Amino acid sequence: MKNKKFYMTGLAARLILGLALFVALVTIGSIYVGVNTYRASTHRHYNDVAYQVARSVELLFDKEELKEWSNVAIEYNTTGNGGDRIAQIRESEEYLKYLDTFTNLRRGMDVDDIFIGAVDGDEICYILDTDPMEDRRFSLGDRSGIEDYFSDGLRTAWQTGIPYNGYMIHETDYGYTITAVYPIVYEGGTIAFVAVESPMRTLQSDVNSYIFTVLIIVGIISVILFVLTALILVNLLIRPIKTISHEAAYFVDNKNEISENLKKIKNHDEIQVLAESVLKMEIGINEYISNLTKVTAEKERIGAELNVAAKIQADMLPGIFPAFPERKEFDLYASMNPAKEVGGDFYDFFMIDDDHIGLVIADVSGKGVPAALFMVIAKTLIKNRALLGGSPSEVLSYANDQLGEGNEAELFVTVWFAIIEISTGKGIAANAGHEHPALRKKDGTFELIKYRHSPAVATMPGINFKEHEFKLDPGDSLYVYTDGVTEATRSDNVLFGTDRMIASLNKDPDADPRTMLDTVRNDIDEFVGDAPQFDDITMLGFKYMGSEKSPLT
Amino acid sequence: MTINKTQDGSKLEIAIEGRLDTMTAPSLEEEVKNSLEGIKELIFDFKGLVYVSSAGLRVLLSAQKTMNKQGTMTIKNANEEVMEIFEVTGFVDILNIEE
Repeated sequence: MKNKKFYMTGLAARLILGLALFVALVTIGSIYVGVNTYRASTHRHYNDVAYQVARSVELLFDKEELKEWSNVAIEYNTTGNGGDRIAQIRESEEYLKYLDTFTNLRRGMDVDDIFIGAVDGDEICYILDTDPMEDRRFSLGDRSGIEDYFSDGLRTAWQTGIPYNGYMIHETDYGYTITAVYPIVYEGGTIAFVAVESPMRTLQSDVNSYIFTVLIIVGIISVILFVLTALILVNLLIRPIKTISHEAAYFVDNKNEISENLKKIKNHDEIQVLAESVLKMEIGINEYISNLTKVTAEKERIGAELNVAAKIQADMLPGIFPAFPERKEFDLYASMNPAKEVGGDFYDFFMIDDDHIGLVIADVSGKGVPAALFMVIAKTLIKNRALLGGSPSEVLSYANDQLGEGNEAELFVTVWFAIIEISTGKGIAANAGHEHPALRKKDGTFELIKYRHSPAVATMPGINFKEHEFKLDPGDSLYVYTDGVTEATRSDNVLFGTDRMIASLNKDPDADPRTMLDTVRNDIDEFVGDAPQFDDITMLGFKYMGSEKSPLT
Repeated sequence: MTINKTQDGSKLEIAIEGRLDTMTAPSLEEEVKNSLEGIKELIFDFKGLVYVSSAGLRVLLSAQKTMNKQGTMTIKNANEEVMEIFEVTGFVDILNIEE
């Protein structure tokens, strides 16, 4: 029962309602057309009968005699003269014979009335009438007005001598009557007309029975069609569509479980194709989801590993500050913020011996894991080689040769590397394509120190790295950075630039390195706002206090 | 960044407009990699180039290394800022730059 109700809702209900409406419209239409056709043919039939009777009357008359009677009637009607002649004709043998003949004809032809008359202005002058009701029967000399339904037909026939083209139908107490008016033409003029009233009493009952029959037949055919169509619709269309819709909902509601029902639809038509497509789609979705799950898991795994890698990378950079609490001659601070999980920037600092400190800041071209791997090697090579002793140029040359070997990815690294003699403040730097360092002399302001750079490390074999000597006096500060600082970009594509960086450093030139780096960092953050950054931001600050052994302190 | 290539036999001229940075360098790298076969003379026209980052330098270096094996590579029309980048990074020593 539940199933039955299920099928009558939605699609099914609409289709069946539409079908019922269609059947009703067809029935009404066919009845309308049928009744009209029937009516038209009935009218024609009765009209023909009436005209045949009228023509018979015309043939039976002696025209000469009729013309005289007509003239007498019109004369009497117009002037009132000739009453004697009228009485005489009424009594004549011929008149009574005609009356008798036409009365018989009326009965024999089963028509209501046959009468003969002439038209005089707006009146009919009767010549002879066979009306079965004696009190309504006119005679020669009587007259009457012209009834409306009759008027056009009568006048047309009278004036032209040709019978009227249309039907003259009127309703009487006994039903519908159709009237034929036939003009009698003699010697080029209409001398009289014959009117025959033919009853159509059978018409209405015929129409009623016709409608009834049509209704019964159409009704039976409709019911059969209706049931057949509904059955076909339900079995071929609605039931499978409902199944498909139900299965799709089942798939969604039951965590993508596929049932066997779709395979059972074997209509060999578009519905089966649809069912198969839905099934294929469900299988496809499941495969896709399972793939996606795998890919997502893999991605999560890689993400987790990247996080570990980033942690390892960060831990590789010296991160405990103060780094050399026992050294009062200098203070330093450094920071790195990778743009991705792992980055290509790095800084480094290490004591080469008791009197020499090495400072490194570097930027590997490229991003992500390849850059990070390259960075690890570069950092290790530079530090290890530096600890063996040698000038910055020698250290970078060594790193250049090592990194250049089999460097298929053609990565390179810009490096600023300086060795500072702590006791004297004398420094030697090699700049392999890196940004200009900023230096602040005691009581002065930060300024970029520009000198010609060598190419970046790992660009070409056998590079001879130029060295640059400098001297720090007590109170001097040094600031090095990567392009992530100067190229931090605002949403309108304006770069932070060296001018803003120098201005930021000069807000408090005497600040310790940590405060100095924090200030720059805050200024960068404020400058870029919400704009996404694509480069690592790495900085190193070094402040020289001077050696206790130095005569200057 | 837009890249315009004009090839005349074994001579290829690549004109670059806009910024050659981390975001745009990979597409130039792809273009260069796919068009260097059989090229004897490679010219970069930097008339419309406003900026080069290290990622962009890497593409140029890579092209230079390829061209070292098969012909010549020249950079022309670099503006002041780009020239400064080349100087600071030491690339003036590596690349053949037409003043």
